[in-house]
Amino acid sequence: MAGLSPPLTAAAPAPAFLGDARSLQKQMLESYYARLAGTGEKRPPVAYMLVGGNLTEIVRSFGYDVVFPEIVALNCAIKHQSLENILHAESMGYGLDVCGYVKNDLGLQDLGGRTSFGQIPRPDLLVCSFSGCFVYVKWWEALAESYGAPLFMFDVPYMREPTVRKEDIDYLVSQLWEFIHLLEKKTGQAFDMAALQRVLAESRRAEEGWVEYLRAGRLRPSPIEAYFEAIFYMFPINVLRGTPEASEFYRVVNEEVRARVRDGIYPLPEETFRVLVEGVPPYTNYRTFWDFFRKWGAVSVVATYPKVGGLFDRGFLHDPSRPLESIAEYSLGAYVNQSWPLRRQIISDYIQEYSADAAIIHGIKSCRSFTAGQGDLRDWLIHDKGVPTLYIESDHQDPRYFAPAQIKNRMDAFFESLEQRRAVSAQKVPA
Amino acid sequence: MTIVAGMDIGSTTAKCVVLEGQRVLGKSLSPVGVDIVKDAERALEAALADSGIARSEVSFITGTGYGRYKVYFGQLVVTEISCHARGAHFLFPGTRVVVDIGGQDTKAIRVNEKGEVVDFSMNDKCAAGTGRFLEVCANALGFDIGEIGALSLQAKRPMRVTSTCTVFAESEVASYVSRGKDPKDILAGLHASIANRTLSLMQRVGIEPEVTFTGGVSQNGGMVRALNRRLGASVNVSPLSQYMGALGAALHGQERQAGGAS
Repeated sequence: MAGLSPPLTAAAPAPAFLGDARSLQKQMLESYYARLAGTGEKRPPVAYMLVGGNLTEIVRSFGYDVVFPEIVALNCAIKHQSLENILHAESMGYGLDVCGYVKNDLGLQDLGGRTSFGQIPRPDLLVCSFSGCFVYVKWWEALAESYGAPLFMFDVPYMREPTVRKEDIDYLVSQLWEFIHLLEKKTGQAFDMAALQRVLAESRRAEEGWVEYLRAGRLRPSPIEAYFEAIFYMFPINVLRGTPEASEFYRVVNEEVRARVRDGIYPLPEETFRVLVEGVPPYTNYRTFWDFFRKWGAVSVVATYPKVGGLFDRGFLHDPSRPLESIAEYSLGAYVNQSWPLRRQIISDYIQEYSADAAIIHGIKSCRSFTAGQGDLRDWLIHDKGVPTLYIESDHQDPRYFAPAQIKNRMDAFFESLEQRRAVSAQKVPA
Repeated sequence: MTIVAGMDIGSTTAKCVVLEGQRVLGKSLSPVGVDIVKDAERALEAALADSGIARSEVSFITGTGYGRYKVYFGQLVVTEISCHARGAHFLFPGTRVVVDIGGQDTKAIRVNEKGEVVDFSMNDKCAAGTGRFLEVCANALGFDIGEIGALSLQAKRPMRVTSTCTVFAESEVASYVSRGKDPKDILAGLHASIANRTLSLMQRVGIEPEVTFTGGVSQNGGMVRALNRRLGASVNVSPLSQYMGALGAALHGQERQAGGAS
């Protein structure tokens, strides 16, 4: 039966536009987890950190590897392993409304840290690099108690103004020195500023490559999928930033994107709608959710979530000539550390710069920190900016909150209305 | 003039409308069970019988509702959001907001002067504030769903039902019964509770006259009054309100046949 919208159960073809970069990203992810699991050479010490405003470069300069429990959790979710961990955490007493990342991580750790992609090592150091979420602070305290590992709490002031204040930078730099002294004491190594600068230079190379990739979404049609594809490619910028592998990865990605443009390979045969996506994806139903876009010819040309590890495309890049100040600026500028007026401005700018037709917001039940305010964002985009916007909700970790028929129904209705409006405006254009 | 059919296969009932031009030739309403394909076929046959025409005379069939993909014999599927908007605008051209309360969904849809969807908001995936909510509570009171609207209109001191969860509301109803409260007052409280939730959804899309009330619950006089009270205005209701999705589907079919946007 022909129709405006295809059936829910129709199998979508594999996203054929994904080439070598996606395969390379998978290999990098596998070897990272293999390294953490301690196979092969002896693994380096491990620091647990949060993605927002992370201090990767500093710990790397002391020879640490970094584990991001949020990223482990999303890998569990995308491989359909999060529910078991969440249920285990609930049996430990964590309530239904507690953050899915937290429950996945604590459940996983209590079950022994085994995943299908590797054994997650115990932390040698805990760095709570994002203090804007109180649940995260408590999560790190729980981990510190559970592992007996030292905990460094990095207190980052919330950003309410677009300009960075000198007092905030001074406050953060003083904490960074405390952190460095802790690392010196723990490792017995003296801090090596030149080593940190080398790591930062490597980070900057990766950031430049990542930005080049993201900005390809400005082209029409877009050669990239700035949400579903970019989320795959967040892994190197977040987990491997500061290593040569990360910068090399983006060289490969950008070469592939240039080849796509040259050869006319695009995320979809026809780019019917260019959308901005805001919010954390439902990792437990990633492909299903993606298919809901693809079937309508909707390509995300820009998205906010892939920037949670750094708003590098908004002008900030790590600067090796100002090592600690630059790290402080990075932490302040984390997307989740921005006030709603600042977040709204970023989104509004993106819609203009990337010529987006509409916005889709995916809220997640278990994270009020990221999601609170998205309802107002929807209203603001519709009423103040005239941008058709859809708000849908499920969860990033907990599959019990993903109701496919309801979500699809809302998305179908949204795209139907966009299609209708477009048809009506086309009729208005004189021949 | 060509004849088209619109089929709204919802969570609890299947509705079918047969349309020729602007004239409804016939319609049907039947319960939905586990075999949705057969239910859809039966709904079409019943509407054809009501219209007094043969199936071969129907040139285009459009499916809508959660079971829209089960209307395998149709030529088009459209979401019920677009269909309720189109149907409401057809019957009441001044409609700017459509409120559809069905078995498991409540929707507020804002439409423009052409009946096109501008914005919409729906209840969460929980059934609180829907027809199912009323049905569960009616059963707890020992009434049939069809009689509770009229009973609620006879309430003298409506009770306050605060639970937002269908299961908890049922317990709350049982608690009122055990305390000897008048079932009519409890029913009025239940209707007011749904009206409050519905108003919140409408506020999300922006309330603007005229408001047209559609879906199965629109046939409940108690619910119409509760909504009117909350709004401070009268909502449009038609004997065809329960068929609005099917009617809208038929209209979309007509438009598609004529080569329009649909």
